[in-house]
Amino acid sequence: MRKIVYCLLFIVYCFAACTETVSDAKQETAQPSIYPDYIGVTIPVNIAPLNFSMADDNALLVDAVITDSHGHELHSQGDDAVDFDLDDWHALLADTRGDSLTVTVSAKYDDGWHTYRPFALYVSPDSIDYGLCYRLIEPGYEVWSKMGIYERDLSSFDESALIENTQFEGCVNCHSFNRGNPANMSLHIRGPHGATLLRHDNSSLTAYNTKTPQTLGLCVYPYWHPSGRYIAYSTNTTRQLFHSADRNRIEVFDEASDIQVYDVEKNELILSPLVKQDSVYETFPVFSADGRSLYFCAAVISEELRVKSEEFATAPQDSPVATANSTLNNFHYNLCRIDFDPATGTFGDHIETIIDAAAQHKSISFPRPSYDGRFLCYTLSDYGQFSIWHHEADLWLLDLNSSLFTLNSSLKNSPMTAANSDDTESFHNWSANSRWLVFSSRRDDGLYTRPYFCHVDTDGRVSKAFMLPQRHPRQFYRDRFFSFNVPEFIISPTRFDGRQAARIINSPSRSDFSVR
Amino acid sequence: MAVLLFFALAYPHHLHYQEQFQLFLFDSTYVWDIVRHLGGFADLLGRFCTQFFLYAWVGAAIIALLLSAIQLLTLRLLTSHLFYGLTFIPSFLLWLYLLNENALLSGVWAVLLSLLVACVIVKWANGWTRRILLIVAIPVLYYLVGPVCLPIPIDSLWLGVHYYRYPTIFPWLLWGAALSIWVIFGLYLLIRRRQVHSPHLSPLTSYLSFAIVAIIMGSFVWKNVNIKAEKVMQYDFMARHQQWNRILQTISAEKPNNQIGVTVQNLALAMRGMLLEQMANFNQNGIVGLLPDVKEDAASPLPTAEAFYQLGMINVAQRTVFEAQEAILDFQKSGRCYQRLAQTNLINGQYEVARKYLSALQKTLFYRDWANETLPLLGNEEAIARHPEYGRLRQWAYKDDFYFSDHVTPEMLESLYFGNTDNRMAYQYLLAYYVLTGDRERYNQFMSKKQ
Repeated sequence: MRKIVYCLLFIVYCFAACTETVSDAKQETAQPSIYPDYIGVTIPVNIAPLNFSMADDNALLVDAVITDSHGHELHSQGDDAVDFDLDDWHALLADTRGDSLTVTVSAKYDDGWHTYRPFALYVSPDSIDYGLCYRLIEPGYEVWSKMGIYERDLSSFDESALIENTQFEGCVNCHSFNRGNPANMSLHIRGPHGATLLRHDNSSLTAYNTKTPQTLGLCVYPYWHPSGRYIAYSTNTTRQLFHSADRNRIEVFDEASDIQVYDVEKNELILSPLVKQDSVYETFPVFSADGRSLYFCAAVISEELRVKSEEFATAPQDSPVATANSTLNNFHYNLCRIDFDPATGTFGDHIETIIDAAAQHKSISFPRPSYDGRFLCYTLSDYGQFSIWHHEADLWLLDLNSSLFTLNSSLKNSPMTAANSDDTESFHNWSANSRWLVFSSRRDDGLYTRPYFCHVDTDGRVSKAFMLPQRHPRQFYRDRFFSFNVPEFIISPTRFDGRQAARIINSPSRSDFSVR
Repeated sequence: MAVLLFFALAYPHHLHYQEQFQLFLFDSTYVWDIVRHLGGFADLLGRFCTQFFLYAWVGAAIIALLLSAIQLLTLRLLTSHLFYGLTFIPSFLLWLYLLNENALLSGVWAVLLSLLVACVIVKWANGWTRRILLIVAIPVLYYLVGPVCLPIPIDSLWLGVHYYRYPTIFPWLLWGAALSIWVIFGLYLLIRRRQVHSPHLSPLTSYLSFAIVAIIMGSFVWKNVNIKAEKVMQYDFMARHQQWNRILQTISAEKPNNQIGVTVQNLALAMRGMLLEQMANFNQNGIVGLLPDVKEDAASPLPTAEAFYQLGMINVAQRTVFEAQEAILDFQKSGRCYQRLAQTNLINGQYEVARKYLSALQKTLFYRDWANETLPLLGNEEAIARHPEYGRLRQWAYKDDFYFSDHVTPEMLESLYFGNTDNRMAYQYLLAYYVLTGDRERYNQFMSKKQ
């Protein structure tokens, strides 16, 4: 027994000996340059440890001491990244709710230790949802390799697959939940086993064929009605072309698109001629927080643009040399709204333009109202609607309490400067409490999309964004050749049975949507 | 020896083909991602060995060693010389299996490991110990090497195990090889139980049985050799390694008559500035032989992508290579594609993306040095401008933006040429296009514009 105790003590000593004391450190006046950049960020009280590395590759050791206002400390040291103990981290954050932490970073280089000016982490009292659901896919063109839908616990580093395309032949996309509640879920499968999988109020999955003779094509971009009874979908005829010499690689555009609402209980699509116009491309429908409005993006296609567009659509096989300025960059989407009566499932009788982005030669995509009804976040780019491939795309925040809806004059509609970067910011979603926003950004390397989070307070003040934490962030993001696509908050584990879903997908049985 | 010579001399480009559709990383995450799957241990060994296929003689030696080991272990499992010839059957079946470029080495390793465990148990344990060991070994082996250890021909057991590049195809020959060991061993037990033993006949039967098996199986191998595919792969290999002179020698000896061969032939002629003078002396396959439309598979777009790259159509090359890699059916990555993607991103100034590919290549055995040499170029504009390949291609690349899709047209070549009139590749391809289409009007327009 004594030998065992000695052995254990020796092992503990060995582990303890692995940590080197920071000594004779040169005191730097600058704050450290770390990866990911967590300096001065606001974080939710239940987020996973914000492990980090030095931004350069030359550090031999990195050491961090986190101190709260009561003097409690959390220490970590590592050769590539600091790796805070999960339980200690959460205990520290719980004690610091609404207060700030001070992080002192030291790094050992060939010339010895350097200690940097401490920086703060602000611990918001607003918690973040349980997790995140996203698609992992290579940021490619038209062919896809391995991909899947995954969920990640935001308070730890645990990631698991809901379904992967190794389980069936095809691709999977557009996962959607009702305010993050996985009891109501929509998921598209494309390819030979194409279907839309729906789970309503935790019922079993059903596979649907969403194309009907009266509609343009398959249902595409989904958004749940707060009641869970309806899902707004766009239906799009989408195409891709590629840039020969531009910072943006790819242009994804619609050749037609409409909006429709699906009544989950009656299994029928609700159509309206107002959101099904040939001269207007309507897309990205979302319900307002009270469920009585439908926001969407719409591009009015002039006759001249329509003719050019049709010529362009048929031209590439014969004459693909079309200047980028000729056609596609004349597609500008406005933010629009139409009434929706959830009791009767009927649309209003007119469309209201909320933001006339076309007048500014800009284009709006991905409108997302906060669930408290206060704000609407959207992506603004130079043209088109597929903003993930637009490096100029940024997030904007619209205060729905304001009546001043112009792009450049009102403080009530402004870019989310603290969260934006020089590179792409695109798809985004609100947490259930409407205080956190997750969004896709390509700021890391210009190509691979990463999820970032920012805090939006009740007055619309936006905090600096921080990247989804990983245990070994540099190694993780460098080695992962996937983009995080369509990050959606989830308020609890999805409990998605991937095997059952694969069986349903691989079976030929599909239920058809009917049309009211 | 026969296997070594066959793969090294008659089938070397099948080995290169295998190598270019995988990327073995010395990385714990990569290894874990393989071994956690059913049959993952055999898959890991297969992938590890396949990286050596970059050098055909080494690859051939590995295959020869593995097949020899399987024959020797089969022989060791039996003690009667009566079965000497039959012990070659599993190896011959695996040889047949490996003639297919989509058959992976993991299957061979699975057979070898199963056989090794069987030999150890049969030779070193008796009675109940043997039975217990067998009961323990089968599930463990099943996890490590997959259903090869228990060759039951049920689709659901085999499909999805990484023995074959197409996950939905049942690897019948591999199954046959695994089954043959059981059948031979069963025969051996049956005969031993009936005490059929004729030691006087042993040497004769040994040679005779070997000769019969070698002739029959050898003829099967010979009949199933795909020389046509080997030639196509040879052209692809030469294009990959920019062996322009060797390509010219090869097409002089035998004019290629397949699309990839013609594409590579024209590329080599253009690289040597001979396309316009020499193109009439070779098969052309119309304009498709110049720059074929990109298809959604992993192999056929790569030679075309090489032509795009050498022309200076960097974004077109990048897209083509990216799509080809995505089309690899078993979701593996490719060292060849990673190299090219690093290069196109470097030329385009997308240094962080290039760094990502180079970081991955640093974890490989054979691409590490190249990655280490290329990394210092990132962000070093002067060094890139001085670089004989990247500097030239940067100058040749498109200046004006336009949209492209799957089809390259004369307007694209014209735009490339007028973007930099030093681009003789674009000039040759454009005029060759007009020659092949007989479009005099456009040719005249181009010439007047040029003047």
